[in-house]
Amino acid sequence: MSSLSRFAGKSPWLYRINAGSCNGCDVELATTAIIPRYDVERLGCQYCASPKHADIVLITGPLTTRVKDKVLSLYDEIPNPKVTVAIGICPISGGVFRESYTMSRPVDEYIPVDVNVPGCPPRPQAIIEGIAKAIKILESRS
Amino acid sequence: MWQLVLLKNLLKGPATEAFPFGEATTPAAYRGRVAFDPSACTACRTCQYVCAAGAIHFEERPDGLRFTLWHNSCVFCGMCQHYCVAKAIHLTTDWHLSHEQARKYEMVEEGWVPFRPCLQCGELMLPATPPLMRLAYRGDSKEIEALRHLCPKCRQTRAAGRNS
Repeated sequence: MSSLSRFAGKSPWLYRINAGSCNGCDVELATTAIIPRYDVERLGCQYCASPKHADIVLITGPLTTRVKDKVLSLYDEIPNPKVTVAIGICPISGGVFRESYTMSRPVDEYIPVDVNVPGCPPRPQAIIEGIAKAIKILESRS
Repeated sequence: MWQLVLLKNLLKGPATEAFPFGEATTPAAYRGRVAFDPSACTACRTCQYVCAAGAIHFEERPDGLRFTLWHNSCVFCGMCQHYCVAKAIHLTTDWHLSHEQARKYEMVEEGWVPFRPCLQCGELMLPATPPLMRLAYRGDSKEIEALRHLCPKCRQTRAAGRNS
């Protein structure tokens, strides 16, 4: 198992959590995956549907109070080692929703975030840059 | 006909952008990292007022003003650039903003706008910047340049004395 984990960094599986996002960042994430012009799969990544298969977690949205518990339980289901990437300014600082009563505090107060990709939304290349940084962190952890 | 399409596709090369293994294309009008020029700023704080995300903050101190913009709450709408009369703030095409968590609070654009003493009475004030004077008077003159370094009170006194 330990010899296999050496290769984990070569083919990380991405898992997307929408923590109350406006869908802007999610569209950009879909763009990185399905549009040949950006094509995140060149880095060996693939989006997966189950949190149990994930290596890199991409969080979008400002973590609304309604979705908070679900996000945290989902995050706990992802096996270690995992790398967390906050996509967009909402999970990083709360963004334009920062002072709303329906928002929890920024994501990094509940979840250990490793890489931040600011933007509203960030452009696909910036997301790919962030994922590349996350892969490097994943390689050092596995 | 299909041979033509095939040939065209072969000549065109891959549609995928080389980034992160090569350079990515960036449109000239792309709104990325914000650049602030403290020498042109007149501290009208319009940028802080129009900032949709509340990313811009001015801190007033006895000897000047500190401008702070946090890129982690900026939405890159470009309103600050649009409303800046003195052209002190503009959005660059730099989009390489992704960073590790340790650098979260370093993603700021800072600037120090110092107060200057009035040439006559020595009171600390903020002189109008040359770009703003050019905009207001369509050109510089010696007289305007001299008035620029006076506080509003001294300016008033001098202007009144000149006319009488």
